[in-house]
Amino acid sequence: MTRAAFGKFLALGAATAVMLAGCASDSSTGSPSDDWSIPDEDPTAKINVVGIIDPVAESMDEVIAAFEEAHPTIDVNYQYVPFDDLNSVLDTRITSKSGDPDVFWVDQPRVPALSARGYLADLTAAFDGRLDGLVPATVESSSYDGKLWSVPIANSTQVLFYNKDILDAAGITPPGSSGERVTWQELKELGAQAQASGGADIGLMVGQPNRYYQLEPIPVSAGGGVGVTGDDMLTPDFTNGGWVDAMTYYGSLFEDGVSPKGITPEQTDATFLAGKTAFFVEGNWMVPKMLDATFNWGAALNPVWDGGDPATPTGSWSLGINPFSQNKEAAAIFIDWMAIDGEGGYGKHRAFAELPANVQGLESYLAGEAFTSSEGGKQAAEVIAEETETSAVPRASTVGYIEFEEIIGRAFSDIANGADPAEALAAAETELTNAWKQYK
Amino acid sequence: MEAVQVIDEVGAPAKGVPTPASPRATRGVRDTATARGPRRRARRAWLTAAAFLAPAVLTILLIRIIPFLGAVVSTLHVRDGVGLLAEERFAGLQNYVDLLSDPLFQATLGRTLLFNVIINPLQIALALAIAVLLTRRVPARGLWRMAVFIPCTIPLVGSSIAWGVALRADGPINGILEFLGLPAQPFLSSPSQALASIMLVASWVGIGYWMIFLVAGINDIPDELYEAASLDGAGGWRSFWSVTLPMLRRPLLFVLVADTVANFVLFVPMQMLTDGGPQNSTTMLMFDAYRRTYTYSQPNQGATATVILTVIMLIIVFVQFRLLKEDRG
Amino acid sequence: MTAQPTAVGGLQRRMRVQRVILGVLAGLVGLLFLLPAIWMLLGSLRPGGDIIGSVSPLSWNTLIPDVWTLDNYAALFGPLRFGQAMMNSLIVAFASVVLGLVITIPAAYALSVFRFPGRELVFAVLVVGFMIPFEAIAIPLAQIFTQWHLDNTYIGLILPGIGNGLAIFNLRQFFLGVPGELHEAARVDGASELRTMTQVYLPLSVTPVINSALLIFLAQWSAYLWPLLVVSDEKIQVAAIALSRTFSDTSFNFGQMFGGALVISVIPAVLLLVLQRYFTQSVATKGLK
Repeated sequence: MTRAAFGKFLALGAATAVMLAGCASDSSTGSPSDDWSIPDEDPTAKINVVGIIDPVAESMDEVIAAFEEAHPTIDVNYQYVPFDDLNSVLDTRITSKSGDPDVFWVDQPRVPALSARGYLADLTAAFDGRLDGLVPATVESSSYDGKLWSVPIANSTQVLFYNKDILDAAGITPPGSSGERVTWQELKELGAQAQASGGADIGLMVGQPNRYYQLEPIPVSAGGGVGVTGDDMLTPDFTNGGWVDAMTYYGSLFEDGVSPKGITPEQTDATFLAGKTAFFVEGNWMVPKMLDATFNWGAALNPVWDGGDPATPTGSWSLGINPFSQNKEAAAIFIDWMAIDGEGGYGKHRAFAELPANVQGLESYLAGEAFTSSEGGKQAAEVIAEETETSAVPRASTVGYIEFEEIIGRAFSDIANGADPAEALAAAETELTNAWKQYK
Repeated sequence: MEAVQVIDEVGAPAKGVPTPASPRATRGVRDTATARGPRRRARRAWLTAAAFLAPAVLTILLIRIIPFLGAVVSTLHVRDGVGLLAEERFAGLQNYVDLLSDPLFQATLGRTLLFNVIINPLQIALALAIAVLLTRRVPARGLWRMAVFIPCTIPLVGSSIAWGVALRADGPINGILEFLGLPAQPFLSSPSQALASIMLVASWVGIGYWMIFLVAGINDIPDELYEAASLDGAGGWRSFWSVTLPMLRRPLLFVLVADTVANFVLFVPMQMLTDGGPQNSTTMLMFDAYRRTYTYSQPNQGATATVILTVIMLIIVFVQFRLLKEDRG
Repeated sequence: MTAQPTAVGGLQRRMRVQRVILGVLAGLVGLLFLLPAIWMLLGSLRPGGDIIGSVSPLSWNTLIPDVWTLDNYAALFGPLRFGQAMMNSLIVAFASVVLGLVITIPAAYALSVFRFPGRELVFAVLVVGFMIPFEAIAIPLAQIFTQWHLDNTYIGLILPGIGNGLAIFNLRQFFLGVPGELHEAARVDGASELRTMTQVYLPLSVTPVINSALLIFLAQWSAYLWPLLVVSDEKIQVAAIALSRTFSDTSFNFGQMFGGALVISVIPAVLLLVLQRYFTQSVATKGLK
């Protein structure tokens, strides 16, 4: 062995030793404990909060400032992460078991998956009896296996927007914001009619094409269920008649040119605002954007499957606590202020930018400018109140949600691009069964 | 100009520096050819080599190789359960067996190899052609070089989003095609065209990058060789084959290897434009590995896919080194 | 003698025609690559949703805005805090280049000029190093850096970028082409390896050094996953991550996104334009005269 090579081996050995030493020291904080509660008096603490809301552009800094004013002994270090990357960041930081971050944004449908991975502290005891001010369905979405894992700070629902100018030009009577709902099948025909004689390029478009969040209501309304079944909720169930019918319908929208191929979820809002789309099923966040609309618009109740029950998407963001956090009490006080206190600090200090899960906050939200300054806005308020009350269907509550959403999303995309629905769903079922092996 | 001066300085016998035969050999001598014994000289040589290499080698070992060895070790383990509540246990080559016997993974492997067999020569040939073009005496060639280079400076996420809009069924690219009388293409929504569309995006981004290195290589070829070739009667095309290409061997090896690696580890356009679809037609190994690790949070399987990918790259790169090997000792 | 002027005239004409053709071709190629970037640039000068609104059907309006605005750039450098992020990216990238060159140039020199047993093995280790996809090691490496309190520091961002195996490879290829006589002459003359490297080889290597510097620069400039995992403090965060601020989970401003992407691309593009002036002719051209 030469001197140079030997020198390299020494370096390799030293480096390995250093690396191993580093790796060995990571479990210093011990195992998490569940024995804590929200104190009457504020502790003095500093907490790290990871969220997906921009501090300046989306006013999160103002929210934090308001909290620190109300709770001066708790110092909040808010860290923004692009929402697409939230999972990688949480994976890295929570698994290091250092307790950082103390609080983080949790996408509600992922609550079962995150709790199964040990990423969430059990909040049932700490928040017992405090949840009355929240919309009950949102609390359900944050619960799994009889326990509460996160506290909702937002909700969501969908509205059927329409371009009134186009509908008038085509002689179509707009669907109503109360009473009877248009069916999906009728809607497709109306869309085609609007394209033929109303000057519309697009007959019908959904806000998030090919995403389970958006499309779940169609098979649910068609009687096919949420897509997952079984006692352990780890059996794929989307090759039944209801699902195949629903997906055949969805694929036909694209094949028959009523819906445009290739428009991604990021582009749909701008596309509708460009004024050439007749019908647009999109979330409540579209209503404030409609203030910029250059055409007359209206809002109607969500479509229903012919002969089926109404179903609309629901669920949004919530706040969870790191099981290894050293400051759980302070974290819980922060969450309480954000979600539950009065109208909910989060909603109130961001001018109710999202649909609140807080009941009082919801009232203030629907009294906002976007909902009161136009006919369409008022209709939207009616629709939102109705849908959140009666037709919301939570997404499949399964520990394998992440794989499910990803794989079914690809199947939707393939169907929209022309694949045979039954085949695409069957292929997805095989892939998902494989991916879920690790949970069994 | 400066280089010539330096060479002059070094080439001429310098005054004041003792020559080996000088009786004043001891004063101010750092290391002359025959000053001390061969063993001392050899040890100095190794120390110098170590000093020159150590910082780089150490950094790469610490930041790349050793963590990767950790990842390799993790491929020999399997988790029961998920996340923090999982228990890891040794499982030998179980992960490899699982992946390599999965028909979806096998298809991904084949697709990756096909993708690279097409895109690597294509990109390098185009980069070379453009490099040759932009080293002729054309006006504003510095400007055109920058123009071709700009795409690789734009963040890949931004480029992917822009191309996603451009390649829409009703987008500008189809608009141009229709204007030219050609039929509109499905591009990213068709299983047969999606991969080619991704190649288009990747090439738009990558060609400028490789072109720069080839421009440097072409500039490095002495004019005399071209003069000699034209005296021999060779035209532009012949001198390209007989002068340019052989002299570009070294930079070409670099570009070939680097491009191969870049294309094997490419996944952002697939992630942003097609999510591996339609019908898995754009699911490559790296994207699959990324998805397993970061979306499904299955780090052991993700690491296995990565190791398989790295091994394939190693083999291919090894072959490339052999092919473009120099006979220089 | 009398036949020559005509022949020369014909040759000159042919060469001029050839130059014109090549010039046009170069311009076409340049424009072809530039067109999508131009579309992005013009798109960034429109109100946020106009890009999508004007995409179909194809018209001049798809490319040329009807409403011009600088709002997107005002937003980028205002509420989206792009200026600070760009500053951080610049600091990290330039520091990486300086430190990176300091360690890669000697390494490449040693791998091409020295002869020692195990030389090819060391080179192989470096090649394997740059073939390892960073995503495979990012999470564990980020956790280690955090343990060593290198998170939220410039050093933490710079360190992974300085051991760039591709840069070493590039320089080594060039050094292999430098005639051995130069090294011999320097050795005979009593120069140490350090002096030979800095006073003989480096002045000849301006172009490959610039290219390797660009390599290191671009790798750090475009890094996304590493800053994401290792930096949570806004004050240190880099431009590539800041670009994601233009898209939230429900609002997508294409004008801002395109603008931000182009702002990020300006620095390396201008760098190349400026540094091209220093691309030198080959060592062999000067020869050993």
